[in-house]
Amino acid sequence: MNTRDKTYSAARMNEAMLSSMQPPTLRWYLLALVLGAVVAVGLYAFTVQLTTGMVVTGINRPVMWGLYIISFVFWVGLSHSGTMVSAILRLSQASWRRPILRGAEAMTVFSIAVAGLFPLIHLGRNWIFYYLIPYPSQYGLWPNFRSPLLFDMVAINTYIIGSGIFLYIGMLPDLALVRDRSTGWRRKIYGLLAIGWRGTAEQWRVFSRGSTLLACLIIPVAVSVHSIVAWDFAVTLVPGWHSTIFAPYFVIGAITSGVAAVITLMIVIRKAFKLEEFLLPLHFDNMSKLLLAVCLLWSYFYFAEVFTTWYGHKPIEWEWFSYMHDHYGLALFIMILGNTIVPIVGLCFRRVRRSTAALLGITLLVNVAMFIERFLIVVPSLSHKNIPFIWGSYTPSWVEMSIALAAFALFFLLYTLFTKFFPILAITDVREQEEALIGQQQLGRARVETLVNEE
Amino acid sequence: MEILGVFADLDEAARAVDDLLAIGIPETKITSLSSVPYPDGVLVREKHQPRFYLGSLAFGAVGALIGFSLAAGTAWLYPLQTGDKPIISIFPVGIITYELMMLFAIIGTLVGMFWCMGLPDFRPKPYAAEIAIGAIGILVQTEHPGEVEVARRAMQSSGAQRLCTEEDEE
Amino acid sequence: MTTEAKDIRWGMVIDLDRCTGCGACVTACQAENNIALTDQQGFAQGRNLQWLRIERYWEGEFPHVRARFLPMLCQHCDDAPCEPVCPVYASYHTAEGLNGQVYNRCVGTRYCANNCPYAVRVFNFTDPSWPEPLEQQLSPDITVRSRGVMEKCSFCIQRIRRGKEEAKLENRGLRDGEVQPACAQTCPPGAISFGNLDDPNSRVARMARSPRRFRLFEDLGTEPSVIYLKGGGHEHPG
Repeated sequence: MNTRDKTYSAARMNEAMLSSMQPPTLRWYLLALVLGAVVAVGLYAFTVQLTTGMVVTGINRPVMWGLYIISFVFWVGLSHSGTMVSAILRLSQASWRRPILRGAEAMTVFSIAVAGLFPLIHLGRNWIFYYLIPYPSQYGLWPNFRSPLLFDMVAINTYIIGSGIFLYIGMLPDLALVRDRSTGWRRKIYGLLAIGWRGTAEQWRVFSRGSTLLACLIIPVAVSVHSIVAWDFAVTLVPGWHSTIFAPYFVIGAITSGVAAVITLMIVIRKAFKLEEFLLPLHFDNMSKLLLAVCLLWSYFYFAEVFTTWYGHKPIEWEWFSYMHDHYGLALFIMILGNTIVPIVGLCFRRVRRSTAALLGITLLVNVAMFIERFLIVVPSLSHKNIPFIWGSYTPSWVEMSIALAAFALFFLLYTLFTKFFPILAITDVREQEEALIGQQQLGRARVETLVNEE
Repeated sequence: MEILGVFADLDEAARAVDDLLAIGIPETKITSLSSVPYPDGVLVREKHQPRFYLGSLAFGAVGALIGFSLAAGTAWLYPLQTGDKPIISIFPVGIITYELMMLFAIIGTLVGMFWCMGLPDFRPKPYAAEIAIGAIGILVQTEHPGEVEVARRAMQSSGAQRLCTEEDEE
Repeated sequence: MTTEAKDIRWGMVIDLDRCTGCGACVTACQAENNIALTDQQGFAQGRNLQWLRIERYWEGEFPHVRARFLPMLCQHCDDAPCEPVCPVYASYHTAEGLNGQVYNRCVGTRYCANNCPYAVRVFNFTDPSWPEPLEQQLSPDITVRSRGVMEKCSFCIQRIRRGKEEAKLENRGLRDGEVQPACAQTCPPGAISFGNLDDPNSRVARMARSPRRFRLFEDLGTEPSVIYLKGGGHEHPG
């Protein structure tokens, strides 16, 4: 790169990467309106549940947990993408992470926030949810920290705050950049958000080392969050839940759905904001390899769990196992198809890994399959517990389905708003690579590109 | 007092740093403003190791203590038997301690980083919006008004596009 | 025969040989404990609120079919799986071995119900209701539970309390058999006995030493306080 036109090219790159922040079009408003409407329907359904009681759901004895808990596990799972892509790839100095990381980190924050709503929606008496918060009350009574739900509450809060900080710190230089190019009240707001960042040499040094330290801290938190969600199930006496493999199995499942969702979102963002220049086939290729690896791992864990249950043939475990096979055969088939057969076979091919159309299909299928997986974990085990006299089944009601659907709309709405107000590509990270880390060197008779090591 | 010279690109900024060093301004008083990070020494050399990790450690320790007190302490304050679990059970206490330790360590990292970066700082400071589009700022921080003048002349002759101080920002 | 309160461990013995499956205990329990009535649809959906139910199992092939009855209620486990999973201490263990349920503390996570292997915990899906004139006979001793709350058999804790108060007024310990839950009091063939398992001479303690004794899901290690005496003795000689 010629140093003389660097000013020019930096300005152009800023402009191109901030394309998502241009004034919203009519299409954008329409999308936001539709998403808002779906959220409104969900809110209405929740109001009905609040005023009538849990009778409006499909919950019954013995299936006391339903679509809300399934959605909770699903959304917590999705939130594992940001840390996977951003933190792990940062630590392994994989430079191709740069255009992907912001989108993935934002996804983490919004999906964990959506996930955090479900345990509250799920409560029989939502209005006293604060009984779960440790505060000194006049009764002198504290919550029961021996309950896995308290582990959950603490872990989810840690993850929401932690991933929020991770997203914010990573975005700080970009916020300053947006501040510098905006005017009026926008400049004031971005000025507040950028808290006076000037990009001095010391600030950059602290920024890059601190981000690495944050990555080190957020990865074990992410692992613990989904392990704790798994332990909600695994510590019980429910046949089919009480399993030591659940924690690692859930973590891998979370990363599987997270990576798939990041690819889906990358495809959408790339198309919507015309970012073909930055999100290259290489990025899809690498992410797909990651997805392939975690799909293989997931399949391995699933096989290990199912195989031992099948061979051990304990009557009590066989009961829910055969119930699942008999009643949810089709769901089971879609799950295996979407989590194992299609991604593992498909992603072996370079042409598939570099085709956005194929990837869109595969990644959506993976997440459909992961949703089904959570359903098959929660429902069949509860339907056929120890007491045959109280065996049942579960069908979600319109209230539950509206709220589950509204969660998707809420997530996309938050994400759409985020792309309008914040840079969706990590501008300085991408430009650092382009400007500061890539150089040229005469090698024999050619000038070749070289890459300076990341700190 | 701070004086900022804005340079069109990296090479000019680097030459300006050389010129400033040549007239006797120590490297500790010079820093660069840029919109992307450059490896150490490209413009100025690192002065000292940032110690932000101390924030993570201190907050992490506090968090672990809070977690332990919440899980073990509150159970002990109001002991209620549940199942045959001990009032202070090792695994739950460990999990809560761990989670709060990590939460506070992350917050501590944020605080430590802000501390080392001197942020938030809303005072008017020499800055130029061109930096966002690839210009490089060279900043001389000094106590002596005389040195500011020396730096101003030096940077002017090195080809600074623009020079500014705090007063210009107000 | 009297005992001191600190030695109390409440327990129940149900003799399956005596149980006829008549369901009087179910009705008595419902009337005693302000349990809301559920309509047919609610029953079909698994939303009834019975604290005590008679489980009927069929054994054998026609024409040699026999019905087996198993009165099922909260087993008041010593190591109750429902208790530690409650995030707000709505479910906890009392010093007398009862599995307590604090209604106004319950937020309705329904985790306890999932973790109960006996499936005896019921959830208030709606606000409680009684057809006229049944709402006139609600007991003033017991909270009417609102919707969103878990509930279950309490071994008629209000009767235990009253028994203890009366004993205290008369300056004596509780007599064996003085406190009877509604189900035990009502059972026509006298299949249900209730008393202090820690008193070796109490009726329940003596019955609990029977060779016919068994507890449900002993392998789960929940240590239930309800002891069943095996039924069908005459069918399985020896």
